Amino acid sequence: MFRKVLIANRGEIALRVARACRELGIPTVAVHSTVDRDSAVVRYADEAVQIGPGPSKRSYLSMPAIIESALRTGADAIHPGYGFLSEDPFFAEVCADNGITFIGPPASVIASLGDKAAARTLMTEAGVPLLPGSLRPLVTVHEARAVVDEIGLPVIIKAVAGGGGRGMSVVRDEADFAKAYRETKAAAQALFGDSRVYVERYLDKARHVEIQVLADTHGHVIQLGERDCTAQRRHQKLVEETPSPRLSERTRVAMGQAAVNGARTAGYVGAGTFEFLVDEDDAFYFMEVNCRIQVEHPVTEMATGVDLVQQQLRIAAGEHLTLRQEDVRPNGAVIECRINVEDPNRSFAPAPGLLEEFVPAGGPFVRVDTHGYPGYRVPADYDSLLAKLLVWAPDRAQAIDRMRRALDEFRVSGPGVRTTAGFLGELLVDPVFQAGAHTTSIVDDVMAGRASAPVQRLAPVVEWVPDDDAQAA
Amino acid sequence: MTAGEAFRLSAASGPVEPDESTDVLKRLQESALDLLAGLDRAPRSLRIRTDHVEIELEWADEVPAPVVAGLSVVPSVPSASAASASASEEEGSTRRYVTAQTVGVFYRAPEPGAKPYVDVGDLIAPGRQVGLVEAMKLMMPVESEVDGRVVEILVADGASVEYGDRLLAYEPADHS
Repeated sequence: MFRKVLIANRGEIALRVARACRELGIPTVAVHSTVDRDSAVVRYADEAVQIGPGPSKRSYLSMPAIIESALRTGADAIHPGYGFLSEDPFFAEVCADNGITFIGPPASVIASLGDKAAARTLMTEAGVPLLPGSLRPLVTVHEARAVVDEIGLPVIIKAVAGGGGRGMSVVRDEADFAKAYRETKAAAQALFGDSRVYVERYLDKARHVEIQVLADTHGHVIQLGERDCTAQRRHQKLVEETPSPRLSERTRVAMGQAAVNGARTAGYVGAGTFEFLVDEDDAFYFMEVNCRIQVEHPVTEMATGVDLVQQQLRIAAGEHLTLRQEDVRPNGAVIECRINVEDPNRSFAPAPGLLEEFVPAGGPFVRVDTHGYPGYRVPADYDSLLAKLLVWAPDRAQAIDRMRRALDEFRVSGPGVRTTAGFLGELLVDPVFQAGAHTTSIVDDVMAGRASAPVQRLAPVVEWVPDDDAQAA
Repeated sequence: MTAGEAFRLSAASGPVEPDESTDVLKRLQESALDLLAGLDRAPRSLRIRTDHVEIELEWADEVPAPVVAGLSVVPSVPSASAASASASEEEGSTRRYVTAQTVGVFYRAPEPGAKPYVDVGDLIAPGRQVGLVEAMKLMMPVESEVDGRVVEILVADGASVEYGDRLLAYEPADHS
């Protein structure tokens, strides 16, 4: 096992990783910007190194600063968290070049899966269903149009180097296509330094369902069930849950198998997530692979009892996965609400500031992952996630009730500070959400003051599957 | 401290339409600068919001303490520089500091055995190199940005530094 782990991240995930290390008896180093000098992980970790000023480019994205800190403190492994450098293949390489274990997949795997067009090609080889669209990045607008003619509108234009809901635009009208194509390319260049784009059929009323996988360096790959992340705003997830309501058992099993096949074909190592879209007919289509621990990983942890971050550390240290597929038995229902410091009454504008009052929810089957504390000043320099609130209950209806109780008792206030907790409570009582019949338009619909119509054909909640089909290999 | 250094404009970082936010930011910046020009002491932070015109100003009561990590067992140099920094603060509040712009190892001279870039008593001017910080085999020059005279070297040659650590203290040149 590692002698020391450096955490190259901040906020709630940095603290989460530090806790996993503490439970494994591994000393930790927190690197931080000047803005984060009073942050929770800096107080919690065994050592801390101030690596730069607020702007991420000069701190959390600064490879020299992070590597130098690891070398000086004798850290032999780096956990990159999510975002920042977690999916940067060059960073993974630099770690390896300096004799430091990067906790994640090999650089080459990150590179191939991070190129969203190459990932689609790889998944085709693995027999994973894809949305109709281009397999290769498009070179000219004419080529792009030809794809659109073939697959039909609406389409979504996506950056090859993108992901996480950024650098994409939906086109519903032929007339808007050329402009959207140019603008998406420009945005891709600005955001990712790579203007290549591809085109996919866009599913208007879809559900976003992802599968968590774990893969070790000895060829063992398992899947740990799904997370339904349909409740999103501008492609940013707000609420995640397991099991996915109204997903047939047949589809669940097939998606799990597809993810395992995809992970094997890609040579995946570590914790990863395969994202899919599911349409009204329960057909599922691959979207992208996330080569990192995800924000919503606790949803799976609470349903399965598996500590995913600890598994990441063990896998990276070369250990065999001791969990077999048959040991993974998700139980009950879990819901996660992301509490952001944003003001829902002002179009979710960021509303950070000093937390004069910060009293998280608690009690039975409640988990809170947060870097907040009373007196903490939420900086304006980074993303707005303040806390992840999770509940477990025997079924979805009880989980919703429990989450409403928990959201109600979560108190965050300070000068100028606003959170999305109240809005999330409204979302949970929306009849369409309660029925589990919501699609990716749910948040916009709730915001617009009306619920979207439930999907016309409701798939059965549970479908009996004969034994020989039931187990994923 | 200039008005520019004193505040950090809290700009919306959420999903805002590019055209809107540029105009709004411009007007906000102008209002902020007007506001600050009218104050007799620059605040530590300033927040302005649109729609409700909410303004929040905060003044530091005292010079912030040097950076100290929570449960840090980092090697001793930062605490040495902290000790000498606070001693010099007692002596006179006109002292300024050249700080490390990156994590790394601080060197006072271009090579072992060579003459240091600066010594106590030397004059410094903008662009004058006063040291080196080495990170991952890259040597980054530490340069003065001001006119002044070196009064104390705060970090030993070859010591580890973090971003923001004070490397040397100087007295700024008088402006007539």
